Amino acid sequence: MKPFRRRGDALVAQLNEAEVSIVGLLLDQLEQLLDADAADAGSDPVLTRLFPEGHRGDRQVADEYRELTRDGLASGKADDLATVRATLPPEGGAVRLDPDQAQAWLRTTNDLRLAMGTRLGIEADTEPPEDLASEEGQQLAVYYWLTGLQGSLVDALVAGRAGRR
Amino acid sequence: MGGPLAPTRTPETTVEEHGDLDRPWVTIVWDDPVNLMTYVTYVFQELFGYDEATATALMLEVHHEGKAIVSSGPRERMEHDTNRLHAYGLWASFQRDT
Repeated sequence: MKPFRRRGDALVAQLNEAEVSIVGLLLDQLEQLLDADAADAGSDPVLTRLFPEGHRGDRQVADEYRELTRDGLASGKADDLATVRATLPPEGGAVRLDPDQAQAWLRTTNDLRLAMGTRLGIEADTEPPEDLASEEGQQLAVYYWLTGLQGSLVDALVAGRAGRR
Repeated sequence: MGGPLAPTRTPETTVEEHGDLDRPWVTIVWDDPVNLMTYVTYVFQELFGYDEATATALMLEVHHEGKAIVSSGPRERMEHDTNRLHAYGLWASFQRDT
């Protein structure tokens, strides 16, 4: 992986074929989760994190918020996911994003990290894995790899904003 | 997104405690172990137009205090702000100011 850098108005990173296939797999898993009927998966902690309560303490206000926003939030996530998928080079290579696509990447990589972080029980003091042979070690490694990728995109966007002023 | 969040809200029918009607609502962002500090700061600037110093201070408040109020105003606007933060994966909620 070559992290995201600004090239004019575009944001460009390089992913190899294996990295692209890992991202593709994670996108498939996220899509399945988003497609799952809310009633079936209502108690899934990842969905709870991706669609948080709008109000804490007042059930009626929370339900009302959910009713108003759930569909829009879900379709936004689905659109972002489709954008990320469409901008992945299937055989590996350059990921080249315009500003709107970069926002979709920001949100989707964040959702992927939230999903993985919830499953893996990430806490503030969780360290990168030492044992890459274990299943959990590998997943943690993917999580930290995604963190690096998303972090580089944030940094490139921030640098671009500073340049505009 | 786009468009008003709740264009046809029915009038409030619940009985409010005296004085509550004048208190504004607030949007709160809660600390979470996944979201990057740089990302949270970026989102605050992007969504609320805060300058970097303000956004960074709010992010640090979330990080160190566990939560921070990031906007305040009428309930509908706080619902909207919460919704925009949720779209970016921030752990946000709205409530009447205490």
